[in-house]
Amino acid sequence: MKKSTKKLLLATTLMATLVNSTFALANQSANITSATPETAPLDWSEVEQQAKGQKVYFYAWGGSQQINDYLRWADKQLQKQYGVQLEHVKVDDISIAITRLLAEKATEKATGTASKGTVDMLWINGENFKNMKQNQLITQPFATQLPSWQYVNTQFPVDSDFTEPTEGLEAPWGIGQLIFIHDKQRTPTPPKSMQQLLSYAQQHPNKVSYPQPPSFHGTSFLKSALLELATDTSPLYEEVDEKSFAKITQPLWQYLDQLHPLAWHQGKQFPSSSAHTMQLLDDGELDLAISFNPNEVSSAQNNGSLATTTDSYAMENGALSNIHFLSIPFNANAKAGALVAINFLLSPEAQSKKGDLSQWGDPSILKTEYISGSAANTKLFKSVPEPHPSWQVALEQEWQKRYGH
Amino acid sequence: MKNFLLSLIKATLLTVVLLISFLPMVPGLAGLISAAFGINPLLEQFQWTFSGFIQLFQFPGIGQSIFMAVNVSIVSTFLAVFISFSILKHWYQSAHWQKIENAIAPILALPHVAFAIGFAFLFTPSGFLSRLSSQLLDIVLFNDIQVVKHQLGLIIALTIKEIPFILFMSIALLKQLNLKQSIQCAQSLGFNQHQAWFKVIFPQWLPKMRFAIIAIMAYSLSVVDMSLVIGPSIPSTFPVMLWSWLSETDLSRHLMAASGALLLVFICIVLVYLVIFIEWYVVTKCKNWQFSGRKSIKLFDVLPTIFKHFSKNIKLGTFGLVTVLIVTSLSFLMMIVWSFAKRWSYPNILPSSWSSQFWKNELPYLFETFLTSISLALLSAGIALLLVLVLLEFNNRVIGKKTNTINKNTLKNNKHKHLLIPMILIVTPIIAPQLSILFGMQLASIYLGENNFYLWVLWSHVFFVFPYIYLSLDGPWRSYDRRFNKVGLSLGKSPLKVWWTIKMPQLIPAISIAMAVGISVSLAQFLPTLMLGAGRISTITTEAVALSSGQDRRIMAIYALLQTITPLIFFALAIFIAKRSGPLENRKAFLIFSNSTQKAEKNISKQASTIRHLQ
Repeated sequence: MKKSTKKLLLATTLMATLVNSTFALANQSANITSATPETAPLDWSEVEQQAKGQKVYFYAWGGSQQINDYLRWADKQLQKQYGVQLEHVKVDDISIAITRLLAEKATEKATGTASKGTVDMLWINGENFKNMKQNQLITQPFATQLPSWQYVNTQFPVDSDFTEPTEGLEAPWGIGQLIFIHDKQRTPTPPKSMQQLLSYAQQHPNKVSYPQPPSFHGTSFLKSALLELATDTSPLYEEVDEKSFAKITQPLWQYLDQLHPLAWHQGKQFPSSSAHTMQLLDDGELDLAISFNPNEVSSAQNNGSLATTTDSYAMENGALSNIHFLSIPFNANAKAGALVAINFLLSPEAQSKKGDLSQWGDPSILKTEYISGSAANTKLFKSVPEPHPSWQVALEQEWQKRYGH
Repeated sequence: MKNFLLSLIKATLLTVVLLISFLPMVPGLAGLISAAFGINPLLEQFQWTFSGFIQLFQFPGIGQSIFMAVNVSIVSTFLAVFISFSILKHWYQSAHWQKIENAIAPILALPHVAFAIGFAFLFTPSGFLSRLSSQLLDIVLFNDIQVVKHQLGLIIALTIKEIPFILFMSIALLKQLNLKQSIQCAQSLGFNQHQAWFKVIFPQWLPKMRFAIIAIMAYSLSVVDMSLVIGPSIPSTFPVMLWSWLSETDLSRHLMAASGALLLVFICIVLVYLVIFIEWYVVTKCKNWQFSGRKSIKLFDVLPTIFKHFSKNIKLGTFGLVTVLIVTSLSFLMMIVWSFAKRWSYPNILPSSWSSQFWKNELPYLFETFLTSISLALLSAGIALLLVLVLLEFNNRVIGKKTNTINKNTLKNNKHKHLLIPMILIVTPIIAPQLSILFGMQLASIYLGENNFYLWVLWSHVFFVFPYIYLSLDGPWRSYDRRFNKVGLSLGKSPLKVWWTIKMPQLIPAISIAMAVGISVSLAQFLPTLMLGAGRISTITTEAVALSSGQDRRIMAIYALLQTITPLIFFALAIFIAKRSGPLENRKAFLIFSNSTQKAEKNISKQASTIRHLQ
């Protein structure tokens, strides 16, 4: 066995060197940067023509069955109306698609040939968008050229995503507001501010928690708490400054140091996600759940995952609000199909269906006059805008350092 | 000329086997090693650097995370091996063994994630057992943070899931040992049954189980999907941490992940040697206990009487077996109930309202996923089976040739050394951390830029299925009596005809079971499908994991059930085929086979009927 292992080792080392040198060679021989994008106005009928028969691979979070069902409906409609197939690639984190795109971009640079992309369309916002924009993974502005753009309510801050200008590189799809869910029977007067949450935890130890950062909802809770606790919130809307970070975030850590010993499992364990907090609320382990969908309660009650006595509310300070977007990467294979799909998803028909309170219930970004059905009854809370995306990573790292082990 | 052609064909066949089954290790390892040291052409990094490792070791909680992974691996492997042996010791020679064999086959087919989901339905603070206890006794179970901190859930679940694997691998092996005679001999020397098993069978059993033990050790060290469902989260175990870094967009995290993946390989190698060392120490180095004539093992003399008392009154074998059977069947039951529950809030013992809406909603969309899963499984297991058959014939020929020249006794001791392709190479895909190999394979697939995701995924499945099929066929192939071939050849049949008409019919039962094992391995693949398929190839398993992030227990239950039922169908089919292809071996002339196949026959028919009942 020894002999054979040695042989194997030798062989692998040899092969490894070989592979490495080929990689290096390939890179030297081709150092061509990809061509700059053209921004000609879209000829929509031509786009629809091209789109016919295309299969659009749409990378989007696949953890919610209501959302998956909605996308199945959209696929059916798109096939019927435009002959476009919408294939929902269910991911548990959208960054997996971005990583893939980064690698494809680098390969394209290295080999000099335009790659056939894997991702045709994706669902993003915030840090992920900033990352894609910086790495030039989205190159062609398209949002304002969509026929459905006329319905979009531009009163909403649709031109910036967590303070990052969208420049038409992504089209708004829906609105998220960080809300809390409580059971009216068990908790008639839920805490409405961070301080109240702390005193609630003192009276009811082991009953409150938040999703573990760096999960999306967990980090949002941190941002929301910081926005309320910080003495001056203006630095939060600019790039993180390493020097002042400690001083600005001091009240947050002080707060969490007090909260954690009183929290669920003494803050030694956290729910994994927003969905997990809802499950724990239903199990009676937590008194408060967190969600980004103000209509979450009605759809959850409808399919039996929450009790009929539950209700949602926002903190007095307001609900941390953001818009989530749809975009098309630089190397999308079915570009026309993706444009048609996004245009359809922004149509009054699709947006009304998306806001249906018995299903997904995601608030529409269209002007209210275009919305029909139960989606028209959507209530939005007072909103607090998202901080600069750089705060996300900074808060996550500090949290990991303090509480993550 | 004819000889030349034949050897040319042989060489080509062997090359194909090597290319398909072992080539992925090259980009896998090369990509991994270079990426770990900062060389990643995809991200335009061409400077050797240790910064990945530096960042890795500076990451808060990394030490604990690594410790947890190692702890889970060592403890669950030890428990699985120990309990499995106790079960064998206690039950193997009993009249009920056939029934036990029947019962463990479906558990073997159960994918790890599905089991973890069912396990969580039972053992979480809001799970079924806790509901029962809170309704009846007013006690909330499993609420203690220590349970999670010490990874108890993960360890117990892994142990329960691996016991059937060890038992299954032992069955073929124990048939090769002269079990009855050995134990009778030991008993005639005044040792009781228990001592005879420990002193005579154990030292023979353990070395032969080496690869099976290493396989479960490596699996539990690098398991991602199962720890995502029931593992600890602050911090998460090392492989889960690596997995989460790989899915981050921050590129410095990828460097860290690559370095971590290499470290995982290193830890795995250390643990492999630990397993080999312990085996050597117990079996070869300190063998005094085997023949000193003492009736009890020294260790037990030293231990306090409480332990003796415990081991006397509670039979570990029985306890282990009962636990495995009850936990898995209850998990299965939980999945069925959850999949039809509309509302089942805590602490109700039964759902307050039922609905089949979740099944109805999913069914129209399941077909395609189902088709992908099954086609991948059939193709990959089929290809792997062909490759294994080719390899087995070549490897055995090498053994056969050596038999003529080397004294038989020395051959017995050095069996593995004379294989054309060493065993260690064959089992590498099982032993090496999957995440680490896949990391490199993914780099290669992106670099080649070929967007045929189905082929990539298929290849990776063949790669991971191959060793399992090889392991399940290796035993039957070796115990095949060569004299049949000689008789056939002497009667003037061509080698091919001898192989096809004499050898194959005898081995068909083993082949069909191996095929079922391969199919179930392919069906359970999560990381290869996701990483090489770029998310585009969705199977029941990838859907199950993606949906589990949404925490909807009804949907999770549906997919876990599907994951369980699909391999079961193939196992049932394999058993059916095995039964049909049996008659020839029932003849007295087939000495070696007749005993085992007759037993297998009975076992098979019973199993088929139980499965029919299940359906």
